Amino acid sequence: MTTAIETRQLLKRFGGLLAIDRVDLVIPEHSIFSVIGPNGAGKTTFYNCITGFYTPDGGDILFFDESVVGLTPDRITRLGIARTYQNIRLFSSMSTLENILVGQHSRLHANLADAVFRTPRARAEEKHAVSEARSLLTFVGLAGLGDQVARNLPYGAQRRLEIARALASKPKLLLLDEPTAGMNPHETRDMMDFIRKLRDELEITILLIEHDMRVVMGISERIAVLDYGAKIAEGSPAEIQGNPRVVEAYLGRGDASTSRRRRKE
Amino acid sequence: MKTRIRNGANAGIVFGIVTIFLILIGFTGTAAELISKLIHAGSLARSLGMTEGMFSLLLFMAVLGILAGWYGGRQLRDLPDTWSSVLVRSTLAGAVHGLLVGIVVYVIGTLNANGVKMTTYLPQLLPAAIKQLLFGMEPFPAVVFYLILLTVMGTAGGALGRVLGRGAWRHRFAEGWRRRWESLQHLPSVQWVAGHRWSRFAFFGIIILLIVLLPLVLGQYWNYTLGTIGIYVLLGLGLNIVVGLAGLLDLGYVAFFAIGAYTVALLTAPQPHQLNWNFWATVPFAIILAAIAGILLGIPVLRMRGDYLAIVTLGFGQIIAILLKSDIMTPFTGGPKGVSGVGGPTLFGRGFTDVHFVYLIALSVLLVIFVTRRLQNSRIGRAWEAMREDENVARANGINVLTTKLMAFSTGAAFAGLGGLLFAARNQFTGPEDHNLMVSINVLAVLIVGGMGSIPGVIAGAFALKGLPEVLRELEDYRVLAFGALLVVMMILRPNGLWPTSRRKLDIKAEDNAPPDPEAASSTKGAQ
Repeated sequence: MTTAIETRQLLKRFGGLLAIDRVDLVIPEHSIFSVIGPNGAGKTTFYNCITGFYTPDGGDILFFDESVVGLTPDRITRLGIARTYQNIRLFSSMSTLENILVGQHSRLHANLADAVFRTPRARAEEKHAVSEARSLLTFVGLAGLGDQVARNLPYGAQRRLEIARALASKPKLLLLDEPTAGMNPHETRDMMDFIRKLRDELEITILLIEHDMRVVMGISERIAVLDYGAKIAEGSPAEIQGNPRVVEAYLGRGDASTSRRRRKE
Repeated sequence: MKTRIRNGANAGIVFGIVTIFLILIGFTGTAAELISKLIHAGSLARSLGMTEGMFSLLLFMAVLGILAGWYGGRQLRDLPDTWSSVLVRSTLAGAVHGLLVGIVVYVIGTLNANGVKMTTYLPQLLPAAIKQLLFGMEPFPAVVFYLILLTVMGTAGGALGRVLGRGAWRHRFAEGWRRRWESLQHLPSVQWVAGHRWSRFAFFGIIILLIVLLPLVLGQYWNYTLGTIGIYVLLGLGLNIVVGLAGLLDLGYVAFFAIGAYTVALLTAPQPHQLNWNFWATVPFAIILAAIAGILLGIPVLRMRGDYLAIVTLGFGQIIAILLKSDIMTPFTGGPKGVSGVGGPTLFGRGFTDVHFVYLIALSVLLVIFVTRRLQNSRIGRAWEAMREDENVARANGINVLTTKLMAFSTGAAFAGLGGLLFAARNQFTGPEDHNLMVSINVLAVLIVGGMGSIPGVIAGAFALKGLPEVLRELEDYRVLAFGALLVVMMILRPNGLWPTSRRKLDIKAEDNAPPDPEAASSTKGAQ
């Protein structure tokens, strides 16, 4: 099986703090892979390293055997990595459809001159982009809401729109950051089905940060556990559930470890 | 009861201070003068035993009193909305208002009567103005008069406010108009006209006809004003791209205006370089130079955001302004005295008159609107807006923010260059004073008043800020005051500008062949 993304001894430091501590991960293509860990374990930092917002202080990140370390976020998006955010970050005063069109940015080519003179090429491209954006809206279940301003969408719809925007770049790897945060059990179940559908129908690889253990255990094929930036366990859901180090990381063992845990991600 | 008293008294104090301030700066006299011109109530005033000026002042004071009462009696969350509560508060507001104003008028009147020359302290308080302020009475009766007038007006204002100003009533009114407007939009005939492909041409035809005919009937002065408004529309549209769309707060925007103006000036003028180029040949140079300057100034500030960007660009603007004045640049730019004898455009061997300049500026505005619209609705425009909304997320969506920002800076600068070249050519002169910080601030104000990111907003803003002061020439001395007041009122009443942006409808479009979701289509069709 091909590897979608691999980190080798990934290291990220903030001052004296080791946010990511020599993490080795191999994420196979077409899998649903979860990264879990207590608050401040370095999960979002891990995402920020992969997507180019942070430059790692050591180690390497290989995306389909190609290093992405040192590339700017937009270059990395072009290569096929897209992400969503823990707290929804839509272009909130733009319309739903425009959000998706922005997501397509890296796949469109119109330059200033194309835009001003509306060349046949640009016109065709734009038309195609709009119809593609519409079918993407239908795919995530937001058909007909294209002209709504994004901030007016209900919460669940905003989550879906964020995913649709990420999908618009036709990524090979999708990073989801707590996609079910703030959802009720029913919505959470829908989201789980939706994530599976993404993987199966679009044939992409999904990396997931999630706190809801039902979601993590329900849809992940493999799970990695981070604690204080270091990987403390990796395996199938069943293996992780039985791992004493994971239990300790989440629940703590005594006073000493709980006080140690107060720090920011 | 205690809260009522406090609220009413507070309103009275606020209005008292405002009114005293207006009296001390002499604004009351100007306002009275304006009112007399507006209503010509000379005979009515005389029948009441007053001069026309006093009568107008009385009206002005009455309006202030009504406003104080209205404000004092306004609906408050922690107070009952009953007649007694409203009237107690508004009457009290009026009384406090009247008392404060009365005391000041008494002091001024007494000092004046005792031979103190008030003009030494407050230049606006001429003896005639003081007499008007006292309504021809002795100081003490005047105080009583003010107290009674403003108390009565306060009560009236409170009652008026309760009858007219209540949320539900206003809401019903607004709702009624909205519904009427919508039903109008749904009329088959209106839909036919709006949906017809020719209606757009007809709309533009009317606008173009207006642009062609209007300058012919206006005099030289108004054509000049119209031209100035047009140039500000150009500048506003340029800054709109940088600030409104891309969200880059640029306070040194005047630099590009200056570059456009000076390029034309130096290339065409006999002094200081004797180049004597033809105006038309300089146009591309001016625009391209401004665009390049936009990129050059953009590069160092690429990584800055928000406040830092504003401060650094402010610095750039100042550098340009100071350079233009400096001795080092004098041999090159003419220094503080500027460049005169700037060559204007000619067509078929004839120079341009004011009317022609209005045409030329209008043509440029139309061109810039066209370009802006095309850009706004393209991949580039979306990238700008995405960057404005959230720069990091824009990057994560594959947008190269460095090139996208530079594109915004250079496009905005090119528009400013066009504005600058027209400005210099029309005035046949350009100097450092034309390119100071105030230009940047004025253009930004045009954007804020009109509505960020909105093309009709920029036009409305330019008319409001550059046209209105010309119309209100009488207010000359208070223009800055009126300017500030207008901005404050605007920000309260229409925080998104006179004409805020509306999102383009892309989802369901008649001319698109892609079959949309039928259910959604039927529900949104009406909005088209």
